[in-house]
Amino acid sequence: MTDTLRRVAREYLVLILVSCLVLMTAIIQPKFISIGNMTNVMRQFGPLIMVAMGMTFVIIGGYIDLSVAGIISLVGVVTLSLIEPIGQFPALLVGLLLGAAAGFLNSMVITLSGAMTQAEGLFISYGMSVLYGGAALMYTGGVTEHMSYLDANLSIFRMIGSGTVGVFSVSFLIFLGLLLVLYIFQKFTYIGRAISLTGGNKTAANLTGINVNKTIVIIWTISGFMAGVAAIVLFSRSTTASPVMGRGFDLNAIIAVVVGGTSLKGGKGSVARTVLGALLVILLANSMNLLGVTVYMQNVMKGSLLVLAIWLDNIKERRQGSDL
Amino acid sequence: MRKKGLGKTITSSIVRYKAAFAVFMMLVVMIFPRTNFYSVFNLLDMLNSASILMIVSFGLTLVILSGAIDLSGGGSLVLGGILTVHALSVMPMWLAILVGTLVGAVIGVVNGYIIVYQKTEPVIVTLGTSIILTGIAQQLTDAHPISPPPGSEFMMIGNGRLFGVIPYLVIIMLVVFVLFYILLRYTQFGRNIYAIGGDYEVAEYSGIDVKKIKAATYVLAGMTASFAGVLLSSKLNSASSIYGDQTALVVISGIVVGGTSLAGGVGGVGRSLVGLLVFAVMENAMSMLHVDSYIQQIIRGIVIVSILALDSYGRKRRREDV
Repeated sequence: MTDTLRRVAREYLVLILVSCLVLMTAIIQPKFISIGNMTNVMRQFGPLIMVAMGMTFVIIGGYIDLSVAGIISLVGVVTLSLIEPIGQFPALLVGLLLGAAAGFLNSMVITLSGAMTQAEGLFISYGMSVLYGGAALMYTGGVTEHMSYLDANLSIFRMIGSGTVGVFSVSFLIFLGLLLVLYIFQKFTYIGRAISLTGGNKTAANLTGINVNKTIVIIWTISGFMAGVAAIVLFSRSTTASPVMGRGFDLNAIIAVVVGGTSLKGGKGSVARTVLGALLVILLANSMNLLGVTVYMQNVMKGSLLVLAIWLDNIKERRQGSDL
Repeated sequence: MRKKGLGKTITSSIVRYKAAFAVFMMLVVMIFPRTNFYSVFNLLDMLNSASILMIVSFGLTLVILSGAIDLSGGGSLVLGGILTVHALSVMPMWLAILVGTLVGAVIGVVNGYIIVYQKTEPVIVTLGTSIILTGIAQQLTDAHPISPPPGSEFMMIGNGRLFGVIPYLVIIMLVVFVLFYILLRYTQFGRNIYAIGGDYEVAEYSGIDVKKIKAATYVLAGMTASFAGVLLSSKLNSASSIYGDQTALVVISGIVVGGTSLAGGVGGVGRSLVGLLVFAVMENAMSMLHVDSYIQQIIRGIVIVSILALDSYGRKRRREDV
């Protein structure tokens, strides 16, 4: 009994810690659980969680994707600017494809160069982020684009931004649909399970007959696609798209994945956990704001969470090693 | 053993000295357009601005040579600058500079302990520490640039010139370079770093105190980064939490261009110097040719990706050869 308890505690320590912090705030600051505040929290939930869900696959596959910041900025400005000239539906399609294409391009650079380690993938995706971010800046000339309110041709984006079906917002339903698809993909398809094996040990995965390169292409493309979706939800809600709108999403998404309990060493984790992680990261930021902790100190906390998570991952592994 | 043709020899030496070759090519290209590129002032200025990142690269090269990585250089850089600027109002200049430099050593000790003694992944840990350090830097300055007290001599370090010609920064860079060159080449410590990067386990079995040496490389990397931050603050006469945003990745790209492999064991500080020169010449040339700044960013992205991808590709080829 105590053994199981200890194992659970070890497995979910970061999750438990963050939950405790959030719970504490709820007690100290009753405003936290007011309806107004909760609606506010649910609003922020959308884009970050979508990026984090895509990021989960990359991290399970043993990489880290820093390019999502650049992809979000690029997809945001390109899609918004295309609504007028080509119509809203084609623009939406172009946006989604652009995100997936950017992710695909990342994976091509990685597979062609044979970048098999986490560090290599991280640097290459950082360079790609600089590239996409530069493309977004060049595309708009550095200015922020606005969705014009008079345009009747915006119904889809208005729907995504502020529409509701019954009690649920449209963006929440989009999230739910994507979660369902990705969850089934991860748990019940061959490729979904191949991702965990690839992340656990690429050489072994290769020897068991898994097409490692194909897996790598799939995880990066999913991440790029989800970043594209996030960009569309983001600008639909704010009705503006700036060429730097993606900044910060990369690290926040990684932290959401980690808080959810997906191992940064690859091989283990799930999108469902990431949903919980993203929710907690947002609740944490919200409770810190209510408690008057500066954004700067929140950064310190996020960085500490990252270091703590990888540290715990290692302790866990060593313990498991000695159990054998 | 395959016989090498002349063409192959030339190609392989270009690949080997790709950074020097790239610098040479850019220098040749810049002869043709009518710009002020080839003025003593511009060339020295170029070297002057590159000096700060070069100093960061010397320490970081040691970490990479030992087969690890440090992404927290930007954090150490800004924190070094900010602490020195704060300290200037309460203590003499030399002590303030020492404080700024030593903060990097402290950061290095923390990184070294978590990574080496707790056996964690350097990429993620130092990504985490760089976020922490930036957060602390923001908190200390409220995310605004801060300036040293007026009338301070501090500015002279970053802007003064020996005999009115050679910038002090270039001289300081060269001194740090020589120190690190000697350290790597002529001391046991330096040779052990290569041994560890070449094969960690062999190094450990042959009695090298691998942990202590790896941790020491983090301390040196932290110190050079924060010392560079002090110099940067002196040059700009201000310190801010945003100065280090891209430092770590630009410097790492420069180191890899120079020919120090991310796999460890191969390379040196001389190569890093040339590698960072590639970026310095490239940026200067693009500005001289009035390339749009957004296009400059795209080009920088393409160069970083190509260099790192080529480095990975080289290792893949070697893996397959074996």
